[in-house]
Amino acid sequence: MPPDATVNGTTPAVTADPRGRGAASLEFAGVIAGYGGGDVLKGVSFRVPEGGITCVVGPNGAGKSTLLACVSGILRPRAGDIRFRGESLVGLTPRQILARGVVQVPQNHSVFPQMTVLENVESGGFIVRDRTEVRRRLQAIQESFPVVTERARSKAGSLSGGQQRLVEFARCLMLDPALVVLDEPSMGLDPRTRRMVFAAVRRMHEQGRTILLVEQNAKAGLRLSTDGVVLENGRVRLVGSGREVLEHPEIGALYLGGAVAPAGAGGAG
Amino acid sequence: MAALYGAVIDGILTGGVYALMAAGLTLIFGVMDIINIAQGVLVVLAAYLSYFLSIRFGLDLFVGLLVTIPVLFLLGVAVEWLFIRRLRSQEKTAMSILVTYAVAIIIEGVLSVTFGVNYVQLHGWYVTRSFQLLGFYLPYIYVFGFLLAAALLAVLFVILYRTRFGRSVRASLQNRTAAQLIGVNVARVSTLTFGLGVAVTAAGGMIFGATNAFNPNSGYDLISRLLAIVILGGLGSIGGALAAAVAMLVVEDVVAVIWSPVWSDVVFFVALVAVLLIRPVGLFGRAAARAQ
Repeated sequence: MPPDATVNGTTPAVTADPRGRGAASLEFAGVIAGYGGGDVLKGVSFRVPEGGITCVVGPNGAGKSTLLACVSGILRPRAGDIRFRGESLVGLTPRQILARGVVQVPQNHSVFPQMTVLENVESGGFIVRDRTEVRRRLQAIQESFPVVTERARSKAGSLSGGQQRLVEFARCLMLDPALVVLDEPSMGLDPRTRRMVFAAVRRMHEQGRTILLVEQNAKAGLRLSTDGVVLENGRVRLVGSGREVLEHPEIGALYLGGAVAPAGAGGAG
Repeated sequence: MAALYGAVIDGILTGGVYALMAAGLTLIFGVMDIINIAQGVLVVLAAYLSYFLSIRFGLDLFVGLLVTIPVLFLLGVAVEWLFIRRLRSQEKTAMSILVTYAVAIIIEGVLSVTFGVNYVQLHGWYVTRSFQLLGFYLPYIYVFGFLLAAALLAVLFVILYRTRFGRSVRASLQNRTAAQLIGVNVARVSTLTFGLGVAVTAAGGMIFGATNAFNPNSGYDLISRLLAIVILGGLGSIGGALAAAVAMLVVEDVVAVIWSPVWSDVVFFVALVAVLLIRPVGLFGRAAARAQ
């Protein structure tokens, strides 16, 4: 594995990452953030390797969604830094962050229910002024996501949960993002639909995109991922490969229901 | 029978104007979760602005709208910027009732000091002249007012469904977080939506002032009706507001003719309660219409 020194910057946060392989797509450095009077994140530091799938797991209230809100610019950290390919995202608006190729799919039912499927996907290119480019991207996405063509004129709210997720993914791809941030992509889905959704996540990854996802279903999320991060009470408890985190005895007992899948168990679900 | 036809037509024409005023109210709620209690007083303010332009400059009431619509739009933007955007998200809806009520009291006070508390009414040839239809006389202002309201609602729909700004409004209305995450500046959209929602009161106020005598207190009866209409139609649903406005005004006018004007107001609110008992989200409302 290449040494940590290849990573832009050598903050304690980065060196704290025991794996330190490859260039970081996204780096969290001592991020403190919260709502109202309290801090939800209490100094979070880790890095998201370029070209990987990084899954953040942790119990309810650990700060997973708060972390993603900071990445997308919806919530400004009180301290610390978040860098994407070396450039700080702190203080940028959500629109400016989108323009840098960081796109987030929010948690559960984030389609615009009264718009058609086509309108929903098109709206992903809201910040792209060139309409020809929007149409070109839309066409490419329709080829990868048949549901966008098959249900083009249906109200997005009338689709099943799994189909809505796919529409959300298709929408986020309209900006051809380098980093896709997914908040609980399998929430509320049955195992079969979840496999379909995770297959779509893998496809996005195979297209060369870096994926950062937060998953309540820790086992499924970590099996899908190249890297894993455990958040606990607003702090990073463990960083490792997806499998290392999945097989860690303490973490398994605490967050994964105790019964960790044997090594080599493939597939999501 | 002619009286009944008359009541139905009267209800439809007046309902169109109420629909315009209610569309502004429900749009503001849909996008911002703000209940603008000041909407009624803003209608009265618009009526007084038309009155002022007509008395002072001899401006025709419809021509005066070229002044009052932008003025009301800017006032809406100012109110949003000064008072609404400072509300914290957790208690925004509840606090908005208090804040906009305070705005209503301020505007009412300014109107009372400026214009006095005596009732006035707007004048134009179309206010006093009528034409015969199905055996009854209909003042031109009702038809002109309805056509104006219909035209402005059409403009509102074109803005909402055919423009980039409209798409950002609809996105914010349906899922605020997702709207932010596709790059919509929700704060700016909220400000402009509030301005737009208030701007429609310019036309509503002019027609209201031409068809009713009004004083600075007239806004309270109006807001109770407008709230009933948007709740009946389903909060946040513009189409619902249109249908509910016309339905309510027709019912009210028909009751006034076949029963008694005393009961028409009561029926207005009884109809609201009856519908909500059967369908708590209103006629066109959706349960949990918008995720945050």
